[in-house]
Amino acid sequence: MTTHTHAYKDPVLTLNGVSMSFNNELVLRDINAQILDITRPKMHQGQVVGFYGRSGIGKSVLCRIMAGLIPPSAGTVEVGLAQQPARPGMVGFVQQRYPLFDHRTLYDNLLVAAERKHAPEVARQHVESYLERFCLAPHHKKYPAHLSGGQRQRAAIAQQLLCSEHLILLDEPFSGLDVAMIDEVKRIIVEVTTMDELNTVIIVSHDIVTTTALADRLWLLGYEHDAAGALVPGATISPQHQYNLAEMGLAWHENVEAEPEFGQFVEHIKNEIRVSA
Amino acid sequence: MKTLFAPNAQPPRLLFTTMVAGQVALLLLVWLFYPMQLFPSLGEVFRSLGDLITTQGLIQELWASMTTALQALAIATVLALGISYLTALPFFRPIAYAASKMRYLTLTGLTFFMALMVSSGHQVKLSVLIFGATVYLVTGMTSVILTTTQEEMDHARTLGMGEWRSFWEVVVLGKLDEMLEVVRQNFAIIWTMITLVETLYQSEGGIGLLLYKQNRYLHLDGVLAIQLVILATGAAQDYVFVLLRRVFFPYSSLGTA
Repeated sequence: MTTHTHAYKDPVLTLNGVSMSFNNELVLRDINAQILDITRPKMHQGQVVGFYGRSGIGKSVLCRIMAGLIPPSAGTVEVGLAQQPARPGMVGFVQQRYPLFDHRTLYDNLLVAAERKHAPEVARQHVESYLERFCLAPHHKKYPAHLSGGQRQRAAIAQQLLCSEHLILLDEPFSGLDVAMIDEVKRIIVEVTTMDELNTVIIVSHDIVTTTALADRLWLLGYEHDAAGALVPGATISPQHQYNLAEMGLAWHENVEAEPEFGQFVEHIKNEIRVSA
Repeated sequence: MKTLFAPNAQPPRLLFTTMVAGQVALLLLVWLFYPMQLFPSLGEVFRSLGDLITTQGLIQELWASMTTALQALAIATVLALGISYLTALPFFRPIAYAASKMRYLTLTGLTFFMALMVSSGHQVKLSVLIFGATVYLVTGMTSVILTTTQEEMDHARTLGMGEWRSFWEVVVLGKLDEMLEVVRQNFAIIWTMITLVETLYQSEGGIGLLLYKQNRYLHLDGVLAIQLVILATGAAQDYVFVLLRRVFFPYSSLGTA
C-alpha cells in the first residue's frame, strides 16, 4: 500500500442536502458530497470518484440530478470552478446503453457535440483529434448500428467530453460487460482523467470492485436506521460511508485489486452494505 | 429446404427466389385450370385488360387517379407532420388527438360538407382525400413520436441542446425514416378512398370510375383486370418508397433483424 503525494484545490461538484421524492415517496434523502480538484506533482491528475449503491436504490435518479436533467426536490447541485447550479449540458452524462444519434455517422455524432462548444473549423479539428485518441478514426464514416459495443462506448464518452466542462458522469459503465471490455472501459477512464487536470469522471455503479479500483474517492449510498431500528426512507450517504481512497493509499495503483488492503477494504464495504440493507 | 420452415431462418437468396417463383407459378396454374364458373379465367382477364387499355383509356385514367393521389398524399403528409410535431406543445395535443379519432368518420358523409365548402368537383375530391389521408397519417406519425424515450431526449439535453433543438435532433431528424414508412403504409388508404370518391364525383373520370362501371355491368374480368393494375401500381409505389428510404436514410435498416 503506497500513498501518493497529492493535494486538494477547489471544488468541481458539490451536492448540498440533495433530496428527491416522487409522488410523496422519498427516494434520496439529504445527500451531501463534494468533489475537489486533486493535484499531484509533475502530472495532470484528474479525478475519478465513485458513487456506489445497490440496484434500485436511486442511482439513476442521482445521475439525472447531477447532470442537471431534473431539479432535486430539495438541496442544490453546483458544478465547475465557479460552482454554478447544474444545468443540462454542463456535466457530460453517458447513460447505461451508450446512446448516440443513430441517424448520424460517428463523425457527425462527434461534430454535433463539438459544435455546441466550438466554432465549426475548431470543432472539426477537435473531432479529428478525439477520433485518433479514442482509436475510432477508421470507423468515422460508420453509423452507430455498425459499431461494436466497445467502439460505441468510446464514441459516447468522446461525444460527451467534446461538449462538457471537464465533468463526465458514467451511469453503470461496467454493467453487462465481460472482463476484456471492463479493462477497456477502465483504460478509457484513466486516459480521460490524465488528459486534463480538471477532468473528472464520476462513476455511478453497483460494481464495487471495479469502481473502487479506479476511484480516488468513494461514496456509499444506503439506508439508515432510526433509534428503534426501523429503516429510514430515502437512500443517503452517511458520514461513515465517505471514503478517501487517495489518503487510504488505495488510489492510482496499477494493479490495486491484487493488494491485500484492497481486498480487505472491499470486504468492509460489502459488510457495510449488508448491514444497511 | 428446412430453412423455409424454421422460425426466423435466413434461407439462401437463390432458394428464396425459387420459392417465390414456385408460389406464383402455382397460383397461376390453379387459376388456369380451376373450373370455377364465377371467377373469370386468366385469358379473359388479359383480354379485358387489353380492351380497357385500348378502348377505355385505362392508362390515362390510372394516371389521372395517380396524380390526384400523389397530390393529396403530398399535402396530407405536410399537414400530418405539422399536426404531429405540434404535439410537443401541450396546447396542440387535443388537436392531434381529435384528428386521429376522425378516421372513424365516413367519407360519404364528409363529401357533402366538403361540397358546401369548396367550388369544383376536383377540389371536393382532393379535399376528401387529403382529409382521409391526414387523419390516418396523424395516427401513425404521433405513435412514432410517442416511441421517443427519455434516454434519447436526455442524451440530446446532456449535449447542451435546448428543448427545441433536442426535439429537432431526436424527434424530427431522428425519426424521419420512420415517418416515411408511415407515409408508405398509409398510401394504400388513398387508393381505397380514391375509388370511392371518383364514383361520387364522376366528372373527372379516374380508375375508380372505370372500376365502378365494370362492376355495375358485371364485367368481372374487367373488375379483376383493374384490381390487378391497382395492385401492381401499389406494389411499384411501395418499392419506390423502400428505395427512397434506402437512399435517404441508409442507417434505417441497419439495426433490424
